[in-house]
Amino acid sequence: MNLGDRKPVDGNFDAIVVGGGPAGLSATYTLAGGGARVALIERGDWPGSKNMMGGLIFSQPTSEVVPGFWKQAPLERPVTRREMWLTTGDSVLKAAYESDDFGAEPYNSFTVFRSRFDKWLAGEARAKGAVIITETLVEDLLWENGRVVGVRTSRPEGDLEADAVIIAEGVNPFLTEKAGLSRGVKADSMALAVKEVLALPKEKIEDRFNLNEGTGAAYEVVGEITGGTPGTGFIYTNKDTVSIGVGIILKDLVTRAGAAYALLERFKAQPQVQRLIAGASPREYTAHLIPEGGYQGMPRLYGNGVLVAGDAASMVNAVNTEGANLALLSGRMAAQTVLRAMDCGSFESLTLSHYGDLLNNSLVIKDLKQYQKVTPFLSSHPHFFSLYPELASAVLKEFLTVDSLSKADKLHLITRLVRSQQPTKKLLKDLYDTWKALS
Amino acid sequence: MSDKDKKNPGNLPYDNRPWIPPAHNVTAQLGLVKFTPDDTSHLSIKDKKVCQERCRRKFCTHSCPAQVYRWEEEEQSISIAFEGCLECGTCRSGGCPYDNIEMRYPRGGFGMQYRYG
Repeated sequence: MNLGDRKPVDGNFDAIVVGGGPAGLSATYTLAGGGARVALIERGDWPGSKNMMGGLIFSQPTSEVVPGFWKQAPLERPVTRREMWLTTGDSVLKAAYESDDFGAEPYNSFTVFRSRFDKWLAGEARAKGAVIITETLVEDLLWENGRVVGVRTSRPEGDLEADAVIIAEGVNPFLTEKAGLSRGVKADSMALAVKEVLALPKEKIEDRFNLNEGTGAAYEVVGEITGGTPGTGFIYTNKDTVSIGVGIILKDLVTRAGAAYALLERFKAQPQVQRLIAGASPREYTAHLIPEGGYQGMPRLYGNGVLVAGDAASMVNAVNTEGANLALLSGRMAAQTVLRAMDCGSFESLTLSHYGDLLNNSLVIKDLKQYQKVTPFLSSHPHFFSLYPELASAVLKEFLTVDSLSKADKLHLITRLVRSQQPTKKLLKDLYDTWKALS
Repeated sequence: MSDKDKKNPGNLPYDNRPWIPPAHNVTAQLGLVKFTPDDTSHLSIKDKKVCQERCRRKFCTHSCPAQVYRWEEEEQSISIAFEGCLECGTCRSGGCPYDNIEMRYPRGGFGMQYRYG
């Protein structure tokens, strides 16, 4: 393997980071910036080449890692409008928020392509002095006296030693399991997302999505598209492509022997969606798992000589569709912990517990704790994805349809309609349960 | 996959009617992804008998987003088109409710590559 001229004299690194995604790159960038000798090991041809997400990054957490990143990073569009759609068979109920502020510095969020963004971030880390090793799979951890002291790669003579290993391997926690920090993955806490990138001329995107030049939209969709199972669809605008995908809890998909791409086809065929993407030509098809187990699904976050960050640590806030920013922040905190451990000269679990303290005091854990009841709640309330969208749609349709009924009669009719579908008691219970799950 | 799921997958309310082939075909979609396949498969079936005797529905033929797994009626076994694997991990995370698929990552530098991602 080619370590360039940065290979440390004694052959040891201060830290090895496994995985070139947002968590690993943020950790590497922070470590290199702090003066540590750090190597990032990525199994793909470049950091980013195996990565996929829906496409939103948030400006504030990203700029905590790389201040003013928007001046250089490969970004698609700053998002100035978010929409929530509730879909039924043929209708859509929409809630939208739009702000021109989101289109100017310091921005709120951007659409990005991970493969390109991560490649750029790896370059920034390299410029800070990090060694980026690609096309190399980490197969195991090296142990000494109950402590992780490095990694074993698939390369000949591919053992690399370091004082600390940051596992940022992503959603499939092979190493986290080997480190004894994770007890394995549960199908009911994994979501499968499939996405297509569709090419569409810039002008058409801005026209169809009603956007100012260069600004973007992000739509989250719930309802009919996932066939009544807990799941969502999304549509994000990029420069000259549109990203469209669906995510569904794996267990619900398997229980029904369903197929994710079939749901995506169904989503694309929804009339309101079809109009947005008509004539667009496919550029890429991608699939990825999302760890939606939240706080309950988290592994132990550190051990002797080892820390876990990002998806590998199940740091995804499924409610607000935030994963990459939690990965960035946790990677940074893992790196800060290692820098501190270097000062102390100790990499034992007790020293690394500083990582836990940092996380607990950050929005990463606060947000995950806040929503820890949501995923189980939605799994046990599948009618939230079928009955309520349909009911809301039926109520609005009734309200908006002008016919010969008086408004009083109409109200009566609507009340009856709601009660026929869901008795008041159940409705109130669902409202109460929702409030409990979110608070 | 948790221990509980492993021990008793048959008890879960799965749709275990006889197998029908997937209605959609993702060959065209996979044609848009760059693959550098290794010589040997990074995916394998742990025990053929489980596919033959316990799993009627052949869940992996539906759950895998890349349709890597196909049920071969003549051979009475699952064939694995590992060359077109998107490396998502569905098959090891509950995509096979019998936890009968062994998944590793391909060697470094092999497998799929996203241009957008």
